[in-house]
Amino acid sequence: MSGRTAIALIAWREIRERTRSKAFLASTLVLLALVGGSAVLGRMFDPTTTYRVAVAEPAPPGLGAALQHAAEPFDDAKVQLRVVASPAAGRQALEAEEVDALLLLSDDRLVFRANVDAKAAAVADAAVRAHRRQLPPAPELAITTLHPPDEETTDAAILVAYVGSLLLLTSLAFYGQWVVTGVVEEKNNRVVELILSTVRPRHLLAGKVIGIGLLGFAQLALVAGLAAALLVSGVFDAPAELGGDVALVIPWFALGFALYAVAYAAAGALASRQQNADTAGQPVTYTLLGVYFAGYVALSSAPDGLLAHALTVFPVSAPLVLPARSALVGVPLWEHALALVLVIASIYALVRFAGRVYAQGLLHGGSRLGVRAAWRLTQQR
Amino acid sequence: MLSVTQTADGRGTRGQLATDAVGRTRTARPDVRGLELIDLRKGFDEVVALDGLSLAVKPGRMVGFLGPNGAGKTTAMRSVFELVELDTGEVLWDGRPVGLAERLEFGYMPEERGLYPRMQVGEQIEYFGRLHGLDAGRARAASARWLERLGLEDRARAKVEELSHGTQQRAQLAAALVHEPKLLVLDEPFAGLDPVAVLTLAEVLRSEAERGAAVLFSSHQLELVEDICEEVAIVDHGRIVATGDVDGLRRASQHRRIELQLDDAPPGWLPDVSGVELVERRNGSVRLSAGREVDPEQLLAAAERAGRVVAFSYGPPSLAELFVELVAP
Repeated sequence: MSGRTAIALIAWREIRERTRSKAFLASTLVLLALVGGSAVLGRMFDPTTTYRVAVAEPAPPGLGAALQHAAEPFDDAKVQLRVVASPAAGRQALEAEEVDALLLLSDDRLVFRANVDAKAAAVADAAVRAHRRQLPPAPELAITTLHPPDEETTDAAILVAYVGSLLLLTSLAFYGQWVVTGVVEEKNNRVVELILSTVRPRHLLAGKVIGIGLLGFAQLALVAGLAAALLVSGVFDAPAELGGDVALVIPWFALGFALYAVAYAAAGALASRQQNADTAGQPVTYTLLGVYFAGYVALSSAPDGLLAHALTVFPVSAPLVLPARSALVGVPLWEHALALVLVIASIYALVRFAGRVYAQGLLHGGSRLGVRAAWRLTQQR
Repeated sequence: MLSVTQTADGRGTRGQLATDAVGRTRTARPDVRGLELIDLRKGFDEVVALDGLSLAVKPGRMVGFLGPNGAGKTTAMRSVFELVELDTGEVLWDGRPVGLAERLEFGYMPEERGLYPRMQVGEQIEYFGRLHGLDAGRARAASARWLERLGLEDRARAKVEELSHGTQQRAQLAAALVHEPKLLVLDEPFAGLDPVAVLTLAEVLRSEAERGAAVLFSSHQLELVEDICEEVAIVDHGRIVATGDVDGLRRASQHRRIELQLDDAPPGWLPDVSGVELVERRNGSVRLSAGREVDPEQLLAAAERAGRVVAFSYGPPSLAELFVELVAP
C-alpha cells in the first residue's frame, strides 16, 4: 500500500467520524447563522441615512422636495437641505463638516470634502434632473472634492480585520485542539500501536492533519465565503473590495493550519498518558494567542509601523496578521509573496522536525517526553 | 557460529555481530520460510530487555511464547512491527528483512488493547482491513465474516466503548485477523477471557495455523499452551532458554515427576533412593522429583516395601514444571 493510500484512508476516517459528531454540524450552523444574521440585523438597526446638502443662494423652489423624492429609493434616506449665502460660505460649511455636500447649481457642480459619497451624488443628480425636467443620460452634475480623497480606514474594514483574525484564531485553535485530542486519544488507548504496525508515523500525521484541516477549511470557506459574497453583493454597507480581504482568510487558514496542526500533533504525541488533551496543546495555543495579541496591538497602534510589517511576514504570525492588515491598510504584493514563501518554508521545516518528534513521542509510553529529549532520540537512529 | 570479542565498547561488538548475521542469513538461507528473529538486542536505560534473542515461527505452526514477566516477550513481539527500535538484530520474513510491505500481511494484537472507542465495531474492523491493503469491498465482506465467526454480528453497529471487556477483546482479535494474515503475533490473547471465550480463541488460532498462518502468541496459562500448542519458546532475561516441540522439551528435561499414593505407610515416609526429592505431600499422596537416571522400578519397589501402593505415575515434567525449572532464578 502506498503512502498516499494510507494518508487518504486516515484522512477519510477523520472526516467521516468527525462529521458524524453533532458538535461539528452545530458549530457550522451557528457560524453561518452569525454571518447571515449580522447582515439581516445590520439592515434592521441601520439608522436611516441623512444627507446634509448645502445649496448657495438663490435656492430654486421645489429643490428640497425633489431631493427628498430622489432619496426615497435609497433605503428611505433623508435629505437635509441648507441654503447658504454664497459658494464660499458653502465651502466653509463643508470644510467644517456641517454639511456632507455642496450643490453649486450655477456651474452644475457637486462638491464633496474628500471622499465622494456615490449615493449622495446619485440622489443629488436625480433631484436636479427631475427639478429641471431633463431626462438622463446627459451628465448633469460634475462631481469634485475640496481635497484629494484621504485613505482613512473605514469602520467596515476595521470590522473585517478584527473579525477575520478572530475567526482565524478560533478556527486554528479549535481544529488544532481536535488534532491534539485525536493524537492523545490514539496514544492513550494504544490503537496507535496497531496503526503504526502498517503505517509510517509521518503518513499517520499527514492523514490526520489533512483530514481535520479539510473539515476546518470547508467550514471556514463556507462561513468566510458567505461573508465575502454578502460584502460583494452590497448587503453590508461596506466597500465591495473588502470581499477580497475576507476571502483572503480562507487560504491563510490553510497555511496557518498546516503550520500549527503539525505543532499541535507533536505536542499531543509528547503528552504523558495521564495528561489530558487540553493541557497538552497549551504551548501551541499560547503561541497562537501571543501572536494574535501582538498583531492586535501592532495593527491598532501603527498599522504601517515596523512591528506590523514584521508580523505580516513572520511565518508564525503571518496567518493571523496578514489578512487583517490587508483589510485595514492593504499589503503590498511583495509582502504577500515574502510571507507566502516564508510560511511554506516553515511548514516544510516543521513537518520534518515535528514529524520526527511525533513519531518518537507516540511510542514512548509513561511519562511526559520533552521536545529536546524526543529530538535527541530521533538523532540516535 | 561467530566468535565475539568483548571490548570496552560493547555496542560496537554487537553491531559487528548483527552485520554478520545479516550477511549470513541473506546469502546462506534464502529458502527459509516464515518468521525469524535473529540475535535481537535491546536495552532500555539500565534494563536489558532483549539479550540476543533468536526465534523462528514456520508457516502453519503455532508457537507459544512463554516467560516470566519482564523477560522480553512483549519487546520481541513489538520489534516485529518496528514499534521498538532494536539496538541490533534482524527480523526476517521468508528470509528477507521485514518492512512495511511484509507487515501488511501480518496481524498483531498488542499487549495493551486499543481500538477507537467511539467508532463502530464493523466499520473499525473494515478500516483495519483497508489499512492492511484490502479494497473496500473485500474489507467489508471480511469484517462481516469475522464478526459473525466471533459472534459479534449483532454488535456491528455498536461503538467499541459500549461493549463489555470480553467483547472488546473479540473485536480486537477480528482487527488482527481481518486481512487473512500470513503471520499472527498475539500478545497475551487469552488474558482476561472466560473459559468459553478461551475455547473459541484456541479454536480460531488452530484453524488459522491450519490455513497456513504462522502463529506466535504469548501466555502465562501454561496448561492451556500445553493443550493447544505443539511448539513453545521459553524466554528468560531477554534470551531463549528452551525452544521446540513441547513433548520433546519435556522428555529432554533432566527431571522426572513421580506421583505416588500409598496407604499404610509410616508418616513422613520417603523412598530411600538417591536423586529423589520431595516436591509436595498432600492428602496421602506424594509428589516427587527425580533425576532422569533414577530407575522407576527401583522407586516402585521401595514404595511397595513401605506400604500398599494405590497409584503410581512416572513421566516427564509438565510444561509448567519445566518452565519453573528453566526460568527459576
